[in-house]
Amino acid sequence: MLQKIYDWIDERIDITPIWRDIADHEVPEHVNPAHHFSAFVYCFGGLTFFVVVIQILSGMFLTMYYVPDIENAWKSVYYLQTEVAHGQIVRGMHHWGASVVIVMLLLHTLRVFFQGAYKKPRELNWMVGVLIFFVMLGLGFTGYLLPWDNKAYFATQVGLEMAEQVPVIGGELKALLAGDEEIVGAQTLTRFFAIHVFFLPGALFALMAIHFVLIRRQGISGPL
Amino acid sequence: MHKGKGMKFVGDSRVSAERKASQIPKDYSEYPGRTEAFWPNFLLKEWLVGAVFLVGFLSLTLAHPSPLEGMADPTNASYIPLPDWYFLFLYELLKYEFASGNYILLGMIVLPGLAFGALLLAPFLDNGPGRRPHQRPIAVIMMLLGLTSAIWLTYTAASHVDWETRAEMNKPIPPTAVEIDKSHEGFAAYEASCLQCHGEALEGTGMAPALLGTEYTAEEIAKIAVEGLEGDPGMPPNMFTGSDEELEQLVDFIMTVNEKAAE
Amino acid sequence: MSEEKQQVSRRQFLNYTLTGVGGFMAAGLLAPMLRMAIDPVLQPPSEGEFVNVGLAVEDITTTPQRVDWKIKQVDGWYESEPGRTAWVYKDDNGDIIALSPICTHLGCVVSWEGSEDHPNQFFCPCHDGRYTKDGVNVKGTPPLAPLPTFEQKVENGMLYLGKAIPRKGA
Repeated sequence: MLQKIYDWIDERIDITPIWRDIADHEVPEHVNPAHHFSAFVYCFGGLTFFVVVIQILSGMFLTMYYVPDIENAWKSVYYLQTEVAHGQIVRGMHHWGASVVIVMLLLHTLRVFFQGAYKKPRELNWMVGVLIFFVMLGLGFTGYLLPWDNKAYFATQVGLEMAEQVPVIGGELKALLAGDEEIVGAQTLTRFFAIHVFFLPGALFALMAIHFVLIRRQGISGPL
Repeated sequence: MHKGKGMKFVGDSRVSAERKASQIPKDYSEYPGRTEAFWPNFLLKEWLVGAVFLVGFLSLTLAHPSPLEGMADPTNASYIPLPDWYFLFLYELLKYEFASGNYILLGMIVLPGLAFGALLLAPFLDNGPGRRPHQRPIAVIMMLLGLTSAIWLTYTAASHVDWETRAEMNKPIPPTAVEIDKSHEGFAAYEASCLQCHGEALEGTGMAPALLGTEYTAEEIAKIAVEGLEGDPGMPPNMFTGSDEELEQLVDFIMTVNEKAAE
Repeated sequence: MSEEKQQVSRRQFLNYTLTGVGGFMAAGLLAPMLRMAIDPVLQPPSEGEFVNVGLAVEDITTTPQRVDWKIKQVDGWYESEPGRTAWVYKDDNGDIIALSPICTHLGCVVSWEGSEDHPNQFFCPCHDGRYTKDGVNVKGTPPLAPLPTFEQKVENGMLYLGKAIPRKGA
């Protein structure tokens, strides 16, 4: 039955080459922990992707309850955490996932660095990876504010004061991020929400797509 | 690429009706050696790792519910801000003399800018052919230095923080907090002696913990109000300096609000 | 006329036109969006408004007294009235001094003669920080800078206060 469906689709859109490329490629021995246990270091990239998937899904579901409004943001988070069944787990996944993804990303980066895997011809993919790291830190910074609790508010205020210290454009930069020159308030929250939920994930998806296409193009780096 | 007359297509599409083997990448079975098919052999191993990871991750979320502090209060002037842990190294760096005050730009832009710029351009800075760490000592030493200092800065910043007291002082207050009965005879004493630090609705501020849900008995509260609390942060003595009768009313007020909240 | 001799080939012309039309579409799409996003940057800086704090000048004595008032704050569509506090007195020359009570150490709230052991000083209960009457921090106590002073003016015998201006550390 499945074979028939596959053939029906394949006849029309010829997916075998795509499928072969994605799924039927070889995995070299040196990245396979079954052959060399030390190859577990190759897992960190995949685990990073796994946590990103968790973040995307949990984030999507969190917005079913969350409102980016200074009167209600905290209340909505408090409600989903205390009143909604499994709300605490979903928020917990998003909260801890944000930390775990940074850890995994760091380990992945260190693996690539110490193996020298970024050397020719993989320079571009390394740079895309570092950009992914930046985007992830940006997601962490903007997401920190959203629950609108004291921790969020004051950490963001410090972050924005730091942005203000930038020479020449500091004041403008702060206003652009915060939506107001002095107040960290209603406009800051909506801005951070937009950046956290639309702008940075958009950039993240694009970068991740490039990252993966490049890996399939170039193959995984050889053994040391 | 095969072109021209005689080609057959699927319907009026551009998909060729005749499949040529050369168009299709090799089947896994054509690869020699100790490699392994990605699907399903290797993916299964990855998913096993993923499953173990997920169990650990879910245990973490269950064991440690994500923290939520009290609702943001911009007038809370005594709150000591702290960033998320992965920005702690920067927060700590800016405490140093050479990275703050007149040198704030050095600490905030130049140093992190150099570090992240070097990271981004690493393949071009370290462009020799050798991949093994001992073949490129400078790059490896720079990375180890950067990594050590980031870890050390993070550790130093974190060790200055009393995490438990922080969490205790910033517990969220349910939005259904009891209404404060301002006509209560003890409210005047509360307003005069306690309100500034413990908040209008006993909810606590950055300076002092909430009195709602306090575990102290009435006698202990009366004692603390006069004698204060030892320890860090503790509470200074003589915060309450009224008569004994007023003290009794004050304690009664705090206990009444707590009883109402417990309902 | 062969194609090689033309300055701009047909293909090049089409490429340029394509880029131009694409640029027009991108600009037309993005211009209003970007203008909307940077609107806060282009707003004129807010003036420190002076607010009547409800204290007549003749009532100000040489002893600091606590004054509470509310300012109107407009944050986009959100209007609020956050409170402000000051300690106000007249110095020996008869000039009015309005000090912010926010401790420059960690931001607790100081009060005049807040401790019986230290008369004629501002006292912070959090870490025993002290300031002299003119708001200068006492050496050897935690704060490193004097208390900020409020901008002030007098109209119709009433005191108006504006923004708090930080002072350099002593």
